[in-house]
Amino acid sequence: MKEFDLEGLSREMPYKMPEHFLDDLTERVVSKISVEQQKRHKKERRIYVLFASAASAAAVALLLIHPFKVGGPNIPDYESISQCASIDEVFQSMSTDELGVYSMMSNYYGN
Amino acid sequence: MKRDRSDSMNSQGSLSVSDESIARLLCDDNHVEEAVRLIMKKYGEPLYWHIRRMVVAHDDAEDALQETMINVYKYRSTYSNEFPLSSWLYKIATNESLKLLKNRAGYSMSVDDLGDSLKDSVRAEASPDADETLILLQEAIALLPTKQKMVFNLRYYEDKSYEEIHQIVGDSVNTLKTNYHYAVQKIKEYITEHEL
Repeated sequence: MKEFDLEGLSREMPYKMPEHFLDDLTERVVSKISVEQQKRHKKERRIYVLFASAASAAAVALLLIHPFKVGGPNIPDYESISQCASIDEVFQSMSTDELGVYSMMSNYYGN
Repeated sequence: MKRDRSDSMNSQGSLSVSDESIARLLCDDNHVEEAVRLIMKKYGEPLYWHIRRMVVAHDDAEDALQETMINVYKYRSTYSNEFPLSSWLYKIATNESLKLLKNRAGYSMSVDDLGDSLKDSVRAEASPDADETLILLQEAIALLPTKQKMVFNLRYYEDKSYEEIHQIVGDSVNTLKTNYHYAVQKIKEYITEHEL
């Protein structure tokens, strides 16, 4: 029996591809991808808002936990005040400028 | 985005965009839709026929090609420039075809057991004016084990080198050569046996 010559055969297919099939499919795929991208952007925005809220909450919590550390080194802490024997000693340790500010504040608040 | 220098006009006068340009567009969120359009324009038809030769029915080929393109979008970050874009696309298309056939085979059968049913589909799907020898060739291909079928199709129809087929299928070049050799033998036997 004579062997069949495969190489001499046409590479055509016995099927047909429907007209405009690829154009229609391209549009369908692109619209699906567009929907997927919108979903992805929404998800990314949600994650961003979540992280921003968590960061804000953490910042507020830090301010509440350490309220007196925020003002800087010029504010006398509890320990140095309690170590003074009396209120007079506190006044004696104050500079002229500080006494001036104290006097102004006292007048303002009526003490 | 700027086009690559290798982008050129083809014989039909339309712009033929290089794979490098398409890959760059694909990785850019703002140009991904344009990249998908370019892929469909350049590779849509060969990918369709590659899938159709595996699954036979047009409706199945349509589903598999659609899933292929969705996966191209989903897994675009996994594409590496080390391999040609076409090999990556054919790999995804091959996997989608196999996935579709596995779903059809179910748990109790393997994809290779679908040979007879695929062979019957060939004649049902063929155009009325199709050449009888071409139908016999497709029947013979449908009856091949899956690996031999993939290698034969990629080599015979797509003119892929064994190195490219290795990138798509994954087996060693020697194994691929053996698969192709057996596939050709079986196809010749089938056509010689059934030709009038």
